[in-house]
Amino acid sequence: MIHLQIDPHSGVPVYRQVMDQVRYHVAAGALRAGDQLPSIRELARALAVNPTTVVKAYTELQHAGAIEMIQGKGAFVADAGGKATVAERRRALARLARPLAVEAVQMGADEATALEALRREIQAIRRRRADEESIR
Amino acid sequence: MSEAAIEARDLTKTFKGGVVAVNGLDLTAPRGVVYGLIGRNGAGKTTTLRMLMGLLRANRGTARVLGADLWTADRAARARVAYVGQEQTIYGWLTCEELCHLGGRFYERWDTARARRLAERFDVPTDRPVGALSGGQRRKVAILLALASRAEVLILDEPAGGLDPIARRQLVDEIIDLAAAGDGTTVLFSTHIITDLERVAEMVAIMDRGRIMAETRLDEMQSTTRRVQVIFAGDGPPAGFAVPGAVRTQTAGPVVTAIVRITSDAQLDEVRAIPGARVNVFDLGLEEAFIELLGPEAAGEFGETMS
Repeated sequence: MIHLQIDPHSGVPVYRQVMDQVRYHVAAGALRAGDQLPSIRELARALAVNPTTVVKAYTELQHAGAIEMIQGKGAFVADAGGKATVAERRRALARLARPLAVEAVQMGADEATALEALRREIQAIRRRRADEESIR
Repeated sequence: MSEAAIEARDLTKTFKGGVVAVNGLDLTAPRGVVYGLIGRNGAGKTTTLRMLMGLLRANRGTARVLGADLWTADRAARARVAYVGQEQTIYGWLTCEELCHLGGRFYERWDTARARRLAERFDVPTDRPVGALSGGQRRKVAILLALASRAEVLILDEPAGGLDPIARRQLVDEIIDLAAAGDGTTVLFSTHIITDLERVAEMVAIMDRGRIMAETRLDEMQSTTRRVQVIFAGDGPPAGFAVPGAVRTQTAGPVVTAIVRITSDAQLDEVRAIPGARVNVFDLGLEEAFIELLGPEAAGEFGETMS
């Protein structure tokens, strides 16, 4: 079972933390298309959260096309990115970039510093993905 | 039939001597939810639960569980509800096994297998009088009886009080299993300490001085409560300045810090538009949000058990 961890001190709601971590594991290659996610009860117990929280995370992930839920069988990682068009992906990225831009401007960081931070994150995920590939 | 499993309207209790313990309280727990009633000592939580259970008569207002006023309800209506109170020595001369036998006669859906499993899991001696057990063990027996009853509504007053961390975690697991089973069991619990129990709640109500200050879904509370800091250049905030939606505000020179319930993206636009004002918005953790909503004086009380 993949390892997810909840930080109750972060201001991010638990279902979002679950969504973000599943997405991260998919991006990093630890989860691949067709892999099964833990059952709702399993994950609720592991994280000590209400099952509805896990249901909410899985439902949102399904809406976003990241996972598929199959009645009676469970939740599975969907074919990554296959469904989103280029324009959709661009719009989604723009929405996600806004909070980073706001933070950067507010703390007085210049464009290059903000871009550098983003580049490092992308590279870290790529490295992890390469590690995962070599393990498999 | 109403959708709510537990419903209180304008519930009020004044004790002799004029102490108002509960003051016009409104509470709604829909069927099948785990509902946490959170507040400091003396906020009126126990009085509220005892009125819901029909153990205490309200001066004003209504308290209904599964549509019934338990003060006047018959045995059948009461057997749909299980309660864990704070004092557990009423039948102190009986053993856990004997109490289970009684439970089986009172509760129609009594689950013998579950009782046995829980006794093992909680590691409680079943053959000794409950009165001779430690406070924590007695609490576990009470929780065991409530869970084995398979009542449609569980009302638990400070269930985590006196439990060690392992037992607390087991309680959390049991509540998660109840919720995951999806058979519509409603759990209402009260607490004054922030533990992992709160994370299991789907809905929370924050209680202060006999009233509910906020009743909301847990994830909603967490995603809408923010600390907002506004720093003014020069002479500090203009006269009459207030952060829109602030629950609590503190001013120190040019810095205004407020706890704000954010309900729209544009809520802080007018503050951002003030020349020379810099606005910072900070996320709050669950415990922090509780403490901020209840007031900083609650910090010491909560702080002792915060991990």
